[in-house]
Amino acid sequence: MLIPRKVAHRKQHHPGRTGAAKGGTKITFGEYGIQALESAYVTNRQIESARIAMTRHIRRGGKVWINIYPDRPLTKKPAETRMGSGKGSPEWWIANVKPGRMLFELSGVDEAVAREAMRRAIHKLPMKCRFVVREGGA
Amino acid sequence: MKDRAAVVRPPSGDGIPRLEGLSVAMSEVRIAAEPRTEFGKGGARRTRRAGKVPAVLYGHGKPPRHIALPAHDLLHAFKTNAGTNVLLTLELADGTELALAKDVQRHPIKGSFEHIDLVLVNRGEKVVADIQINVIGEPHPDTLVDQQAATIAVKADATLLPGPIEVDITGLEPGTAILARQVALPEGSELDADPDTVIVQCLAKRTTAQVESDLGETSAEGSEEAAAAGASA
Repeated sequence: MLIPRKVAHRKQHHPGRTGAAKGGTKITFGEYGIQALESAYVTNRQIESARIAMTRHIRRGGKVWINIYPDRPLTKKPAETRMGSGKGSPEWWIANVKPGRMLFELSGVDEAVAREAMRRAIHKLPMKCRFVVREGGA
Repeated sequence: MKDRAAVVRPPSGDGIPRLEGLSVAMSEVRIAAEPRTEFGKGGARRTRRAGKVPAVLYGHGKPPRHIALPAHDLLHAFKTNAGTNVLLTLELADGTELALAKDVQRHPIKGSFEHIDLVLVNRGEKVVADIQINVIGEPHPDTLVDQQAATIAVKADATLLPGPIEVDITGLEPGTAILARQVALPEGSELDADPDTVIVQCLAKRTTAQVESDLGETSAEGSEEAAAAGASA
């Protein structure tokens, strides 16, 4: 599972959810991709689950790239706790995804296999996504 | 929001305009351009709402000219066989100009054109453009094809930029690669990239055991973490 080895601050504010992705919106490495259509916090478990869903479908063929990294900690206060007494303890690691971001890329398989593999992966993710194919040029 | 279609490299020493993120050019399309009088975020949005695309035209040491192009016509121009390398004949108020798209910014979700950078070219002038690479053929059955470059930089006449270049990988065995210097370029074009750039390589497919271990490791990791969480609770 993807977890940062070392962080400057254990507890951070919640990342902003507004706006669209500024970069990483194109297919860079593979031939097919999963593009986010909504903003969401994607946890490292969801990323791993989506990767496994894809890998299980493509089996030996194909290569998968993960273009996002869960580098932001989210904290949670224990249940039935009174307010105050400081910030809760880190509970999840998340990637702050904004609309347009390319989440995963895939190559080495034909389009039908890639489409089905990515459809399965999209079901593991917490927001609307779409399957995209690399186009020539811009 | 600005989403660059390609990284623009600085002009080369020989004064040849650098064009990247482009695919092909063979056809020539006439487009009526009108001068743009309002600028900035609001002005650009009003231009887009009116069905036009903000653009800037520069090159040959001339001052930049801000223009607006009809979005529908531009879409059709880029849908020709030439793609974004299409040679545009811009009909301006004071005559016509030949131009090539240097940078095409598109909306990441809608795909609509946000802004176009156009560079002036002359007939017979040599330009460097990125030409799309299409991989064809079936490699050895136990290989995984990894296309490292989707485009290749080619120097050619501005009016005779080649179409997509086909790279045949039939029978390519694991561990072999096709380099930029091995790609057959059309007549009149020459390579303008590092000749040793890997275009496409064939890797050995992962074995079933490797796939199983990859999937197994993850589930083992997950169960360990769950156990650790349970212990701490």
